[in-house]
Amino acid sequence: MTTTQPDAGTRPTPAASGRSRSMSRLRQRLAPYGFLSPTGVLLAVLMVTPILMVIWYSLFDRAITRPSTQLVGFDNYLEVLSDDVFWVAVRNTLVFTSSSVIAHFVLGLAFALMLNSELLSPRTRAAFRVLYILPWLFTVAITAVLWRLILNPNGVVNYLLGVLGLGSGQVEWLSSPSTALAAVTFINIWSGYPFFMVSLLAGLQGIPKDLYEAATVDGAGPWQRFVNVTIPHLWPIILSMALLDFIWTTQQFALIWMTTGGGPINATEMLSTFIYKIAFTEYDFSVASAAAVIVLLLSMVMAVFYVRHQKARN
Amino acid sequence: MSAVTYPHGATAPRTRPRRLGRRLALLLGLVAGACFSALPVLWMLSSSFKRNSEIFAFPPRLVTENFSFDAYLAILTDPVKLRFFLNSYVIALSVTLLTLVVAVHAAYAFSRYDFWGKKVINVIVVSVQAVPPITLLIPYFGLMVALGLYNTYPGLIFTYMVFTLPYAIIMMTGYFNTLPRELDEAVRVDGAGAMTALWRILVPISVPGLVSVGVYTFMIAWNEFLFALTLTRTEDMRTVPIGIQLLMGQHSYDWNQMMAMSILGCIPVLALFLFFQRYFISGMTAGAVKI
Amino acid sequence: MSNGARRMRGLAALTGIAALGLAACSGGDEAPANGEHDEVTLEFTQWWEPELPDGEFRALIDRFEEENPGITVELLSGPYAATREQVVAGAAAGTMSDVVGLDGAWVNDFAQQGSIADLSQIMSEAGYDDSQILSQVQVDGATYMIPVVNFVYPMFTNDEMLAEAGVDAPPSTRSEFVQAAEQVTALGDNRYGWVLPLSLETPNGIQNDVMSWVWASGGSMLTDAGQPALVDNDAVTSAVEHVQQLWDAGAVAPGAFTMKEQDKVEEFTNERVAMMISSLAHVNLIREQNPDLDFSIAAIPAEDGYTGERGIPFASWGIGISANSEHPQEAWKLVEFLMSESVNAELASMANAFPGNSDSVPDFVSEDELFGAAFEIYQAGYPANEFTGLPVAEQLMRSFSEELQKALDGQQSLVDALQAAQSRWEEEF
Repeated sequence: MTTTQPDAGTRPTPAASGRSRSMSRLRQRLAPYGFLSPTGVLLAVLMVTPILMVIWYSLFDRAITRPSTQLVGFDNYLEVLSDDVFWVAVRNTLVFTSSSVIAHFVLGLAFALMLNSELLSPRTRAAFRVLYILPWLFTVAITAVLWRLILNPNGVVNYLLGVLGLGSGQVEWLSSPSTALAAVTFINIWSGYPFFMVSLLAGLQGIPKDLYEAATVDGAGPWQRFVNVTIPHLWPIILSMALLDFIWTTQQFALIWMTTGGGPINATEMLSTFIYKIAFTEYDFSVASAAAVIVLLLSMVMAVFYVRHQKARN
Repeated sequence: MSAVTYPHGATAPRTRPRRLGRRLALLLGLVAGACFSALPVLWMLSSSFKRNSEIFAFPPRLVTENFSFDAYLAILTDPVKLRFFLNSYVIALSVTLLTLVVAVHAAYAFSRYDFWGKKVINVIVVSVQAVPPITLLIPYFGLMVALGLYNTYPGLIFTYMVFTLPYAIIMMTGYFNTLPRELDEAVRVDGAGAMTALWRILVPISVPGLVSVGVYTFMIAWNEFLFALTLTRTEDMRTVPIGIQLLMGQHSYDWNQMMAMSILGCIPVLALFLFFQRYFISGMTAGAVKI
Repeated sequence: MSNGARRMRGLAALTGIAALGLAACSGGDEAPANGEHDEVTLEFTQWWEPELPDGEFRALIDRFEEENPGITVELLSGPYAATREQVVAGAAAGTMSDVVGLDGAWVNDFAQQGSIADLSQIMSEAGYDDSQILSQVQVDGATYMIPVVNFVYPMFTNDEMLAEAGVDAPPSTRSEFVQAAEQVTALGDNRYGWVLPLSLETPNGIQNDVMSWVWASGGSMLTDAGQPALVDNDAVTSAVEHVQQLWDAGAVAPGAFTMKEQDKVEEFTNERVAMMISSLAHVNLIREQNPDLDFSIAAIPAEDGYTGERGIPFASWGIGISANSEHPQEAWKLVEFLMSESVNAELASMANAFPGNSDSVPDFVSEDELFGAAFEIYQAGYPANEFTGLPVAEQLMRSFSEELQKALDGQQSLVDALQAAQSRWEEEF
């Protein structure tokens, strides 16, 4: 199956007269905008407008929380960038997000491949599919509370470790500065891998079997088939998901807030908790908005790279 | 376990011992993965049957002597909580359907047309999700109030659509991009409109993509808390995540009810998933079109 | 006309509407418009109803409605943890309800935002005699919040565990406390003398479990002018050293850095901790969950040799009125109702708290031994919570907690911790 260039214009319909040809050409030129209009309206009204307001707030001093504010330009941005905790948050966020995305991808792909295998009956696969999608079903509050219970110094994990003789028995997974970030990352990996898994599973359905047949005939082993057929086909999906997962994971707030509150000390301080604290405990929405805009700009850079890459691929 | 059909029709007996070994390895892998994903949920289930006093007991036990369905009964007999479930389902299903419809149209535009501003709009669509929701909360809330959508179903539905559309569009665009243009162009040549090409040709083939996007959209709408809380005022509009957090009081948490509510909430979702997951293995594009 | 141009116009119009909607914060209330003067609907946002026995709070409010025909009260309950954001968002968008439940830690910031009304003014307009009100939370001399009921935080002791460790009576001085804690921890078997919740998510552990030591010995963490006084302050230094001493002795239960108040109680209820400073609201909870637990209530130990009045920390369910309420008089009537002697006593009984009305006596005081003891401690001492009314009070607690955590973790000395906390606090004042 070959893919043709999707960017070539659609073939014009045969037209009788010049005027109707230009009319239909105009309609064709406008057609994509028509298709995009529901999305456009929704995003413009409900997303772009608030974002513009956030940018607006970031240029003022203490917006919302003071009856009178004044324009301070980029002062708030300087305040954010000169805060040490901001950079700690950036570092933690990068570690947290990169590890999560990579682990999500690896687990998601592994599970998707296993679930797609023909070696087992459809019923077995269906049963495991249900089990694998479980982490996705729960709201963040419950995930946080549940894992706090499990990782409690007197919780199940420590108990099992003690029983199996693997640990001292009282590890403070979430309370110790040395393990907190890893613990929180682990919880995030658990709660987020189904996203990759489900999308990759759907993607795997789109790979024609005859490609695998051809590869087998050529003498390719399972690993080579994987690398030369599966991965290239899934690559666009993987890239999109990695980008989106990266962006979403940087937004992950409630999970961290409810498990560790950014602590202990600032071991799990993320951009999201950093911004939340400025906004709702220091009541400084302007600085918080400035930080949010910085995050937006960073993500936009990534988004631009992604779109360029897509264009090149196509 | 029913018999497995070997796709190539190759001779099975010659490779049976190796296949058995591979099947066993696969099963082991699947079981290991299932432990990872499902054991915490098992703990949630076990907690929902305990009394609150036993949740923190040490050593922890899977099944305690005070095993009871009290937590479930408390939820199922409370009309306020049942209303939370209803609201969650109505909103999540509406969001899913609407998102799919809107995303399919947008993806068609991105995939099949080249137009001015395409890249810019693409970048915007992707990066609008990058703003931390907590900073968006107040301007967004003000906007919804001004639009008269405060404390209404449409308010939440549109909100969630905004969250889910970017991913839905990207995914469906990717899907459509893997489908050769000849498919829909063939129909266009015969005089059919773009909408026909989209809905008659492309959409039916993209079912696995649609299902995966649908599942994702449903989960997002189902689990969201912050905007659900802010955009609703009265109990009859609130959703399950709010119901769960209402059980987290200032002085103590109602642990078993929280777990029970979560379990009760996800049972119908699992049922829906079980129903729709057959479309994951339809493999409709596999070998469907040979050029 | 192209879709693009149409969209632009629509966007401009909507931006205009949104800006107007936000700017005109006055009176953008969601309550149904009231044409006639007689029919008024008040909205009351709080987190109290879910925490009280089913239906009892609503019944109380129904009584108010009976006594005040023409006023209906709509109770809007939300999760406690999210209440503050919702109030801020509601104030910004003009949808704040007429009456709001408040925590003392939020008052200063809401007053600065201009979202809550000046109650002193409303009280004087209504001709209200406020002598019965036990305390009022003020900012710049004007009252913004009235504590309706107070949850005091005495010391709970597991007497059985103490006896097993060789301690006959709950300690009353700090050195006794340290000794008792060490003896309990020496029992081993996953048992500890004390529990300290230092979670940064809800850092009220600093208020209840750390600063309470300062207040119990009559000390203060502020100067007379209300400015932070964390350095060169013997009271604070000795209290923090006391905590450090307990920490170094290993007498504090594990998990402290992310432990919350709810977890602290569970540790006590499950008999893994012998002593804790906690809210009276937990008494019935402990009794329900562990009826065999033999525990008692005592005053927080003071410095050795201290004989003065002991401050006892408290957290309140406070009440305030929205600055933009369309019905401030009716809203005040509701506040007045909840603060009246008998209603306040009833509410205090429901919540297992102490009344905000100085003449009210909740019935559990005479009926229940533990509560009676607590009430005596309450009356013998004085309610002490210096965080109420401070700017960004929760953030003050949080920054103190971070510095203290660093000190306990060995990353810095106590002196440096106090110094760092002092400079961070001074930034906010």
